[in-house]
Amino acid sequence: MAYGFYIASVCGALAVWLVLPSDRRKPIMLGVIAGAATLGGLLLHTASLAYDAEQGTPSLYYYIFTVLAVLSAVRVISHPRPVYSALYFVMVVLSVAGMFLTLEAEFMAFAMIIIYAGAILVTYLFVIMLASLPPSAYESHEAPAYDRVAREPFLACFVGFALLAVLSSIIFSSVDPITPRPERDAVTVAIEQMPDRITPVLLAQNAINIDTNHPDLTYRMEEGALIASIGIGADERIELTSDLREAIANSIGNIDRVGLNLFESHTLGIELAGVILLVSMVGAIVIAKRKVTGGNEASRHEGTEAEVI
Amino acid sequence: MEYLTLNHYLLTGAILFALGVIGFATRRNLIVMFLCTEMMFQGVAVTLVAFSKYHGNLDGQSFVIFVLTIAAAEAALALGLVVYLFRRKQTLDAEAWSAMKG
Repeated sequence: MAYGFYIASVCGALAVWLVLPSDRRKPIMLGVIAGAATLGGLLLHTASLAYDAEQGTPSLYYYIFTVLAVLSAVRVISHPRPVYSALYFVMVVLSVAGMFLTLEAEFMAFAMIIIYAGAILVTYLFVIMLASLPPSAYESHEAPAYDRVAREPFLACFVGFALLAVLSSIIFSSVDPITPRPERDAVTVAIEQMPDRITPVLLAQNAINIDTNHPDLTYRMEEGALIASIGIGADERIELTSDLREAIANSIGNIDRVGLNLFESHTLGIELAGVILLVSMVGAIVIAKRKVTGGNEASRHEGTEAEVI
Repeated sequence: MEYLTLNHYLLTGAILFALGVIGFATRRNLIVMFLCTEMMFQGVAVTLVAFSKYHGNLDGQSFVIFVLTIAAAEAALALGLVVYLFRRKQTLDAEAWSAMKG
């Protein structure tokens, strides 16, 4: 069963080795064909493994986003011009965000697009434009040598795809479905954290008969039923049908849940993250303010010529 | 019938991570090397969110937020250093700095 992954890894290593930038002429088309065959074969193989394990096949969107992500990732590492690498990396980020949507992690998907594609990649593009060679270097339509020639491509492909072969064969030693099994029941979370979200749901479903404007209205769970209480002796027992459960769960979105989890379980982590961001900001300012000393031994133009030689 | 299976998402994460490793090792341009580390972060993020969904536990998604924080901090510092190094030697070649020891 694992042989499929080993074969795919060898083919993938060959494909990536062929498309990596190099001074020698390599049959790039062969690499493209090998890469496409590898990716297609790998996805078919994994789909058949999942099918044999009677777990069905993943949705079409998973395949679309994976193919986009992997192809763009290959272009990121194989494109000789850094600007294009950065733009292909935006494609990787967008595909990963789409994949998060299929995993019902909406907040993470949009955070990914806003922070990665919006902020970090713009910083990269700024730096690429600040630290690029003068246009004269590109007049011959050639990137500088350090962009045209990859370093140790064969060894790197071997190591990278050996890692991938081991990882993939271990990952697929058994096939597990992603089942909806919340660690904490959504209704319990709602009662503990956001009781004010329950009342509108109950009203919308016509499931509650007592006065919902009462200031002492509380909810609790008892023997699998929801108890609405506005004081002693004024309880109402509400049977939790699956429709009602789903409605309450839907009233708490992904953002609410992530926010609750962050501030309940990772309070210290948030504080530390803030400190790290502050420290890195101070560090970046210190680096940017420093005067350049000892540089400029060569002017820009001579520097590029020395590089090409 | 279509289902979500954990293994497929882990495989995608592993592929992105491996491609990031290869890119980091082969490319000599400092900026592209840092882009490749970001790609490794992407692979890890896919893995974390897939496990978060699998276990019905949101800790994975919280960790992705921390990964984003670290990535942002790293990008700010590393790119500042890259600009500084570029002004010193007018090259982005990582090997130009191989003499920098200790």
